Amino acid sequence: MKAKNGKLFFRGLHIPDKKERSKEIPIAPFEPDEVSIPLKQHIGAPAEPVVSVGDEVKRGQLIGKAGGLISANVHASIAGKVTAIAERADGKGGTCIHITIARGAGGDDYLPPLATPSGEEIAERILQAGIVGMGGAGFPAHVKAKPPVPVDTLILNGAECEPYLTCDDRLMREQTEKIVRGAKYLAVALNAARTVIAIEKNKPEAIARFEETELEVVKLKKQYPMGSEKHLIYCCTGRKVPLGKLPADAGVCVQNVATAFAVCEAVELGKPLFERVVTLSGGGAQTPKNLLCPVGTPLSALLNEAHATEDAAKFVAGGPRTGTALTGANGVVTKTTSGFLLLTQAETKPDSSTPCIKCGKCADVCPMRLLPMQTAFYSAAQEFELADKYGGVRSCIECGACSYICPARRPLAQAIKTAKAALAPKKGGNK
Amino acid sequence: MNPIVSVSPHVKTGRTTKHIMLDVLISLLPATAAGIVFFGYEAAVIVLISLFSACATEFVWYLLREKIWRDPKATLKKFVKQFDFTSAITGLLLALCLPANLSAWYMPLLGSIFAVGAVKMLFGGTGRNIVNPALTGRVFLFISFTAMTVYPAAKFGAIATNGWEQLVTGPTQLGNLLKGEPTLSALDLFLGTGVAGCIGETCKLALLVGGVYLCARGVIKWYLPVLYIGVTGLFAVALEGFDFAAFLPSILSGGLFLGAIFMATDYVTTPKSTLGNVIYFILLGLLTAGLRKATGIEVVSFCILLMNFTVFLIDLAIKARPFGYRREKKRAKEEKR
Repeated sequence: MKAKNGKLFFRGLHIPDKKERSKEIPIAPFEPDEVSIPLKQHIGAPAEPVVSVGDEVKRGQLIGKAGGLISANVHASIAGKVTAIAERADGKGGTCIHITIARGAGGDDYLPPLATPSGEEIAERILQAGIVGMGGAGFPAHVKAKPPVPVDTLILNGAECEPYLTCDDRLMREQTEKIVRGAKYLAVALNAARTVIAIEKNKPEAIARFEETELEVVKLKKQYPMGSEKHLIYCCTGRKVPLGKLPADAGVCVQNVATAFAVCEAVELGKPLFERVVTLSGGGAQTPKNLLCPVGTPLSALLNEAHATEDAAKFVAGGPRTGTALTGANGVVTKTTSGFLLLTQAETKPDSSTPCIKCGKCADVCPMRLLPMQTAFYSAAQEFELADKYGGVRSCIECGACSYICPARRPLAQAIKTAKAALAPKKGGNK
Repeated sequence: MNPIVSVSPHVKTGRTTKHIMLDVLISLLPATAAGIVFFGYEAAVIVLISLFSACATEFVWYLLREKIWRDPKATLKKFVKQFDFTSAITGLLLALCLPANLSAWYMPLLGSIFAVGAVKMLFGGTGRNIVNPALTGRVFLFISFTAMTVYPAAKFGAIATNGWEQLVTGPTQLGNLLKGEPTLSALDLFLGTGVAGCIGETCKLALLVGGVYLCARGVIKWYLPVLYIGVTGLFAVALEGFDFAAFLPSILSGGLFLGAIFMATDYVTTPKSTLGNVIYFILLGLLTAGLRKATGIEVVSFCILLMNFTVFLIDLAIKARPFGYRREKKRAKEEKR
């Protein structure tokens, strides 16, 4: 269907997207010899291991069972032998149980394909296949597929507003049909009347591919953070998600395009979610790539693949705006790793901060219309309640726009996150 | 090699405080040039004295505070790294609101030392001052020296009345306006020809060029000075019994343009939020027009100084209203449904 223009939201940022490095490189499969699959790759409780050391596993076999309602199954991403089940550092400062599998002989162990599934069956399949939101947050998709209140609109998030990342762009261009079918299955499960795919205008090829299908396409202006759920919903439907409420309360469900692709494969092929597209890019990567990696691929293997330059100073899992800086290439690819970026010193600008000049630029770019400088001011004095009262901490979406624009290089997003963590036990948003 | 670890975001804009302050300095160049053209070399000397003494004050203060005698080389390096041109702006702005009167050469010197030393550095340096340093320096000079009330006239006469004859002395046009005496034409007031006044305030065209540059570079928001100037003009009109002939002379005379574009928009001494800024600038406009009428002298600097003290209160009154926020009443209504 012909693409319509989406709305704009108030404030936000315009940043160079730097996608041209990996935009035209097709997705290539990557096959590591060994994978270490973490049992917690999602929001919620970690999965519980159901295999033991020495077991032969097939690709797609269940190795970790969901440990609660908000949790997700974990499957073997290569066929081989389980060599270790141990607690390991995840490279982000935490630890988690990893199941290590060495590549060996063995076929695939998929679920039975569904021919004409009902909504119930699709939701059940999403749960079995261990599908989580693949945009970055990793919220278990089966929870979203069964909203507590009726939903009438499904939005596929193809905004990909993070700089450098091109994994969703490539997927949308190469797997258009499967994404459309995946969207249909999701719509059936949700009983949603309207399905929209939202794409930023800096991906004209992807927009053109979807215009050929019957899906409703919305072109969005390049504005950061367009990929944020609340802003995407506003720009596509004009609805505002009330503070402290879920998108379902506005009658909308948002899923990433990669999630829709995974749903399609899970329904039609019975393939659980055990691999994803990872963008390998950044100024420190000499050979940028888009790789289809099995979950658990060690980042050190990707580092070799990227041919890092001398001046690569920062390793980031995910996008440069919301991703996590790694202590080294000792982490692994998870279901939510959209990119592995090698940033140079010049790109990250790790300057020390200077005094706040109260220019108000952070408030001018805050998509949630908060006052980050007030939060930082009160947060520094440990007055977190006041920080919330004047700055609005609880409704922060942690997009990092304030830290990006700050001319004094002050760690505003960090101050807000600190305040948010301190206020965490009291839930309910800014009233 | 250990990679750098920090909280996201991992990319940042290249524009820092130094770039912004350099932009402000550049935007003041047209007004400085116009001042030198209109008032001759005396203006240039005043500007240089003021600029130099302002920077020197910060330099000396910094060296003493950082205990230079411990490690002179490292301290000097640190000074160069942290110097962000704010003192240069203070010095230049102060010079622009002084008369080009060489016999009072001590004024820019004392004013700059007071502005940078007592108003800025004493409170902790950049970003920590409560009031605008340059303005406070001017007010300090105004209440200390009679030389601040004598303004040499421009080298060029007014186009409309005197042709290109040279005026020797002249009362300020705002003084004339407030006393009800005839003033120069609006064009003369706009160009600064034949206007007596401070070095930088007479040529409104040059100030406007600087202001447009600042807006284009995203340093200030265009609507804030417009709001200030507009509200001042309209309130002056209202005070004159809705005589709209008073609009142009009241906004074009005196230091209103200099104050509105460069002084009042100073980041540090204005409220943090956009809403707060709008309130601040409207109040500023009302106060300026009202006090001008009541006192009969130029009060732009006093008004901005007074309003600087209210910034804290305005900031306390404004709370974040996040995206998706609903007022109590509306929320109660919706939840009932």
